[in-house]
Amino acid sequence: MILLEPHNVILQTTLAEKFAKPSSLDVQFVDYDGVRFHLSTPDRKTVLLLSMSIRCWDELAKYGAADVLRREYGPLVKDQPEPEYNVSLEIDLEQAPPEGDERDAFIKSIALLKRNALAAPFELAFKTQKQLEGSGSGAGELMQIHYRDEEAIYVQASHDRVTVIFSTVFREETDRIFGKVFLQEFVDARRLPTIQNAPQVLYSNRDPPLEIRGVPGLRDTEDIGYVTFVLFPRHFANAGVASSTISHIQLFRDYLHYHIKCSKAYMHSRMRHRVSEFQKVLNRAKAETAATERKTASGRTLLSR
Amino acid sequence: MSNTLRPYLAAVRSTVTAALTLENFASQVVERHNKPEVEAGSSKEALLNPLTISRNENERVLIEPSVNSIRLSIKIKQADEIERILCHKFARFLMQRAESFIVLRRKPVTGYDISFLITNFHTETMLKHKIVDFIINFMEEVDKEISEMKLSLNARARVVAESYLTAFTS
Repeated sequence: MILLEPHNVILQTTLAEKFAKPSSLDVQFVDYDGVRFHLSTPDRKTVLLLSMSIRCWDELAKYGAADVLRREYGPLVKDQPEPEYNVSLEIDLEQAPPEGDERDAFIKSIALLKRNALAAPFELAFKTQKQLEGSGSGAGELMQIHYRDEEAIYVQASHDRVTVIFSTVFREETDRIFGKVFLQEFVDARRLPTIQNAPQVLYSNRDPPLEIRGVPGLRDTEDIGYVTFVLFPRHFANAGVASSTISHIQLFRDYLHYHIKCSKAYMHSRMRHRVSEFQKVLNRAKAETAATERKTASGRTLLSR
Repeated sequence: MSNTLRPYLAAVRSTVTAALTLENFASQVVERHNKPEVEAGSSKEALLNPLTISRNENERVLIEPSVNSIRLSIKIKQADEIERILCHKFARFLMQRAESFIVLRRKPVTGYDISFLITNFHTETMLKHKIVDFIINFMEEVDKEISEMKLSLNARARVVAESYLTAFTS
């Protein structure tokens, strides 16, 4: 599993289970970037209430997340979300589509709730780019999404491209160095002929890229890095391509950090193996002690202390 | 094995073998104490001349002999930031398991990455030439391991980057 999946697996499996056999439940679970979900049956067994809390909801709402969710889920979206949460969906199991592909698609679309909420600024940027294309110049608003405590996504449309900038913090020295190696490969990978059409990736450590240099509150420390993706119109040419681009780019930060952690785990298992090899070599140095039982003339056993 | 590594390891091997002529030697300062003199350093006459064997400016071995113990410190090659961090992690990992390595010191001597302390009690219970073999084997393997880890990190990074970017084009 090299690529991460955009949907929430817990949500998907729980819903599939409940569709097959409705019963009362009350579960809370989480997703990447501190997103919390609450799935419960407050009134009846057949009506599920799914609530999501996402820390950058105010910013997302500003960029039209509510409209995107209404478009995706229609009447399911409740006007008044559950307290402490930002969005609530009400799913009536009795009115659900019949078993089969249709139901699987319905469940999958609900499992993509977080992805759809985060998609709003990207969709807005793609739309802005289309409008600006005619005029041939100018740039859209710089959208900021502070989706984690110290990290943010910046999205800006201009007449020929959409720029997406991730700021990412490496908590440890090791992470920082591993991160540098990984990001350097992202920059270099585009030289391969098969992925010439991929978005351009730029990476800078500490210094923010020009687009966001004026933004207040940027950290100026060694452990922060900025990754810029330049999306060209071909990456959002039609609805299908655009939606897969959005699902994919949202998970960049999680993907990067996931693989940094994987490498560290691999190094660890490797070192463990190597240490046991060294141990074997050192054990060869130990002089063999005579294991035979020694007895005195009278038949008593001698014990060495 | 490269051309400079062979004489370097040969020099370390013969020096360590020569230095490992240890005998039981009780402390001259405190009664009923028996300490490795190279660590205690309380009586100067029990210490012998320390010796450094350098392969180049980044790789060297310091051998400090004394009457009942020798201390051997290794500086491992660290060409760049990645090798530095890998070397640090590896040395730390080993030193946390020092009790199972018997001759390994829990902390390196300043300026070195990893240190061994061999006392007369070790040479009494273990075969001397096998201890030397272990040290030499360790020096060979450590370099190899670090460069392999670096290669695997780079290879992984490439695969990760390519598969992420390929998903955009499909």
